Amino acid sequence: MAAPVNIQTPSKTWELSLYELHRSPQEAIIDGTEVAVSPRSLHSELMCPICLDMLKNTMTTKECLHRFCSDCIVTALRSGNKECPTCRKKLVSRRSLRRDSNFDALISKIYPSRDEYEAHQRRVIERLNRLHNTEALSSSIEEGLRQQARYRSERNNRVKKPTQESDNTTFSGGEDNGDSRSHLSHDSAPSQAPHPPGQTPSEAGPSRKRPRASDDGSGPEANSGSPTPPLRRHKEGSASEIELVFRPHPQLVHAQDYNQTRFVKTTANATVDHLSKYLALRIALEDRQTNREKEDRGREDGGGGGGSGESGEGSSLNSVSEKQYTIYIMTRGGQFSTLNGSLTLELVNEKYWKVRKPLELYYAPTKDQQQPQQQTPQQKSPPLPPPPAPPQKEG
Amino acid sequence: MASQNMDPAAAAASSTAALKGSESGSSAARGSVTKRLQQELMTLMMSGDKGISAFPESDNLFKWVGTIEGPQGTVYDGLRYRLSLEFPAGYPYQAPRVKFVTSCFHPNVDENGFICLDILKDKWSALYDVRSILLSIQSLLGEPNNESPLNTAAAELWEDQEAYKALLHSNFQK
Repeated sequence: MAAPVNIQTPSKTWELSLYELHRSPQEAIIDGTEVAVSPRSLHSELMCPICLDMLKNTMTTKECLHRFCSDCIVTALRSGNKECPTCRKKLVSRRSLRRDSNFDALISKIYPSRDEYEAHQRRVIERLNRLHNTEALSSSIEEGLRQQARYRSERNNRVKKPTQESDNTTFSGGEDNGDSRSHLSHDSAPSQAPHPPGQTPSEAGPSRKRPRASDDGSGPEANSGSPTPPLRRHKEGSASEIELVFRPHPQLVHAQDYNQTRFVKTTANATVDHLSKYLALRIALEDRQTNREKEDRGREDGGGGGGSGESGEGSSLNSVSEKQYTIYIMTRGGQFSTLNGSLTLELVNEKYWKVRKPLELYYAPTKDQQQPQQQTPQQKSPPLPPPPAPPQKEG
Repeated sequence: MASQNMDPAAAAASSTAALKGSESGSSAARGSVTKRLQQELMTLMMSGDKGISAFPESDNLFKWVGTIEGPQGTVYDGLRYRLSLEFPAGYPYQAPRVKFVTSCFHPNVDENGFICLDILKDKWSALYDVRSILLSIQSLLGEPNNESPLNTAAAELWEDQEAYKALLHSNFQK
């Protein structure tokens, strides 16, 4: 059966497989029959194996019938061995190739708009890049933040009087309860981070995401062990946790004014604005607490002045905003630089910090807002116990 | 040379080729290399091949880190090797520079991690990619070419698989 093949001269030997020897021609489809072909198998048929893109100006090798883009095969022959890149059959020159306009026509029949196909390819690649490319990641985070801000303002407009006490659980402050294990609770906080675009709600919750993140070793513990945030973290999304040490700005804040160091643990996708608002809230709450204590003392002394504190407290909590405090970070030269409110803490960590210690940030009242803040009497600094050890030492 | 005898189609092709060649290293050529590497990364991530993996070292797509697990049933079973892959601007027409980062005791690997493998040299084809390179190196681990060794001690010891395995595993450093 293989005899006719071997009759030819040795140099022209044609080695056919059993399948090739026995196959019979397929009948051409002339009625309306449709044959479904998966895009993936179609792509591998229409792809140039060199550039991995769709064939462009198809060239086919005359002897072994392998197809390439004209540019690709010409460059390959110029820069490599004179053989077919697919099967190593000798390709003496460009004369061993022929232009395959039928195939080009076939492609343009299947993909009338090549631009559209290429745009689709680009989108697929971009989606992939988002998984490992920091720039793309940060732009998608920014997009998410814009959406967050929109949700937040909508929410604030709708619910004008949220129960402020629940805000207390937004960030875990180490300074008063020492519970460094609690975390930013997105479910109760008005500063809730909505699901980033493209993420389904079921996987967007940080509390659900965390166990998985720590299972594969990319949780906060693992992260703190490496000098720079590893690439792997980008793949996990931005819901990992971040620890930070939060101090008053040494130059802009009087030593007596809210002079504690605060230890905060929160999700890495929280923004500087979130942090700022949290801080404003904490300080307002602490002020209220000291007011109350003062009132209690006042009541014991003289008895008067009961309800005045109530009204004051309500207004101070409702006026809490992320604009009240500005967040700074110390740069390499010992300079303090202001952080943009829309930055996520993860980005801050990557951009400025990079070492394996908890992120250290500084805060001071925003310049424009400094007037009302200075009304706070100095003896009002909260009589709280000294801050506990940083969270990571407790664990 | 014999330009007057050239067929016009071939002449046109050769001029585009010349253009393409002169562009190598320019942003356009770099763009097409980037595109190909992105495609490779995508297929590599979706293929889920056992025992090999590779990922760009940083945002620079031209330098990757790969890992190879020693093939099962060979003396390298259970060992894990890291490799570096550097792609030239002429990729895929030129082979990437591939070397072992983890030191590797093997007849065809020298003390600096350089690999003697034909497909990375004269037998390179533009059709090879990161996946096929790593699979080739993985199979080279179990099937060394002892005819032209870089590490003669390893080549001589290969006959005695027990002793080879003992030495290999006692000297293995991650």
